[in-house]
Amino acid sequence: MAYEVSIFLENKIGHFERITSVLKEAQINIRSMAINDTANGWGILNLIVNDPKKAKKALSEKGVSVALRKVIALEMRDEAGGLDDLLMEVARAEVNFDNAVGRVITETQKAILILNVDDYAESIKKLKKQGVQIIDDQTVYGTSQ
Amino acid sequence: MTLEFWQEEFETLEKKDLQQLQLERLNKTIESACRSLFYGELYSKKKIKPGVIKDISQITELPFTTKQDLRDNFPYGFLSLPKKDIIRLHSSSGTTGNPTVIFHNRHDLDSWANLMARSLFCAGVRDTDVFQNICGYGLFTGGLGFQYGIETLGALSIPAGAGNSLRQIKLMRDYGTTAAHAIPSYLGRLYEVFEAEGLDPKKDTQLKTLVIGAEPHTDAQRKRIEEMYGVRAFNSFGLSEMNGPGVAFECTHQNGLHIWEDSYLVEIIDPETLQPVPDGEYGELVMTTLDREAMPLIRYRTRDITRIIPGECECGRTHRRIDRITGRSDDMFIIKGCNVFPMQIEGVLMKIPEVGSDYMINLETMNGADEMVVEVEVKSDWFRGDIKRLDSLSKTITRQIRDEVLAKPIVKLVEAGSIPKSEGKAIRVTDNRKNGLLN
Ligand SMILES: [Zn+2]
Repeated sequence: MAYEVSIFLENKIGHFERITSVLKEAQINIRSMAINDTANGWGILNLIVNDPKKAKKALSEKGVSVALRKVIALEMRDEAGGLDDLLMEVARAEVNFDNAVGRVITETQKAILILNVDDYAESIKKLKKQGVQIIDDQTVYGTSQ
Repeated sequence: MTLEFWQEEFETLEKKDLQQLQLERLNKTIESACRSLFYGELYSKKKIKPGVIKDISQITELPFTTKQDLRDNFPYGFLSLPKKDIIRLHSSSGTTGNPTVIFHNRHDLDSWANLMARSLFCAGVRDTDVFQNICGYGLFTGGLGFQYGIETLGALSIPAGAGNSLRQIKLMRDYGTTAAHAIPSYLGRLYEVFEAEGLDPKKDTQLKTLVIGAEPHTDAQRKRIEEMYGVRAFNSFGLSEMNGPGVAFECTHQNGLHIWEDSYLVEIIDPETLQPVPDGEYGELVMTTLDREAMPLIRYRTRDITRIIPGECECGRTHRRIDRITGRSDDMFIIKGCNVFPMQIEGVLMKIPEVGSDYMINLETMNGADEMVVEVEVKSDWFRGDIKRLDSLSKTITRQIRDEVLAKPIVKLVEAGSIPKSEGKAIRVTDNRKNGLLN
């Protein structure tokens, strides 16, 4: 199973840079990122990195509120209609997700879609039953390169 | 249930008998106060004469005494007896301006020791206990105040003094300490030393009673201390102007602090209007000594905020109970027409494990309206990366603070470690309002 790194972040100047500089120092490669903002002056920064556990450790040591969350990575065709087709499949599998981020993996000429789901095990089961291709961790983290 | 008292004849006095005793003692107090420079001058100017009070409710006709009065008349302006009759003084550190100093004759010290013994007995301490007083001795009243009380009660006293946690633990283990007195924040630190030594106070000591006080704390903090040490912890209240510890104390029902009304006349006033508030409502505690000869104080404004708990206590003591101190009237601020004490907000946050108890209150003018912005830290170990969960946490805190102080706050979740750690009574309020009252 793949993990994303979730970080509590205040919307203040310099706070984002603080996170990225910690990760730079720990030699962590950020593969993709998404910020979930609220209107209340804070948000959650979700990162896909090459080594989630190491990233969490490095951030925790600096006192950052950080958590690893299981995500589901799905393969989609890197062409017109690719995302739409994939989302149709997900809907047919009756899987609910509250956050998604897409990304192209240049080395494989494929695109992946990363989903946050409430019930991880159940969602995996449903997607497999629907025949949706779930991408392995190494491809998500990009550590095979 | 067995009813047990240190002085049943005083502790269970019927209300009318108690008031009669108060009236006699108040007039005696006024008489002796008039012999002091301060009250002599003040009362002759206001034409207040001994015996003028016919009913205890007339106390409100007398002027207040403030801490500033004590400072302005430093050192001997409040003495009602010649100096040769005085045998001890206690004083505040007085880091700004004159210190606050209180004088005692032998009667005063005996009376104080007796009240202290009554207080400890009320919390279940007996002459069979080994009592370790973890508290600074010297000018501070907590050391000698407890010391004389423990001895009067007849328990074995260990005058351990403050600090040196390893020695405190050794004393506890060597002599089988069963009861101790300390400030709540120190008990937290002492527990860490127990842990670091690989010891568990629940198993490795014989502690069963802790007396805590001298700094404001919440009921949640008390429960935490009780769990850490496997004891019952009792809240004590006192202030040096009223002798020190032994003014009000919790009984074994742990439901408010009996304030000894045969020795102190108690009023609760609105700190803004200076008018009395009904029982049950919060306000500033105003006290009059009824049994002090060397230095009587009449209608002294303590600045402590509390309330009278309505109703009777099951223990049988008729002396009314005050609630734990929720703050100082100096700390109070008014927002959206509501009187707010920072301790009320701390009390709400203490109950929410995700945020702990570090907070900041910023009073701001936003779009022409005054707002109370409460910053709370999201604790790292509770963070799950879930935005919905944090959102609902923020709403919960907002609702609970509003229910407590009646004004709706703007709650801001902030990163762990971004709020400076509190040092006991640290100021947690900043007032950036256009017409702010603070600062
Ligand atoms: Zn009681």
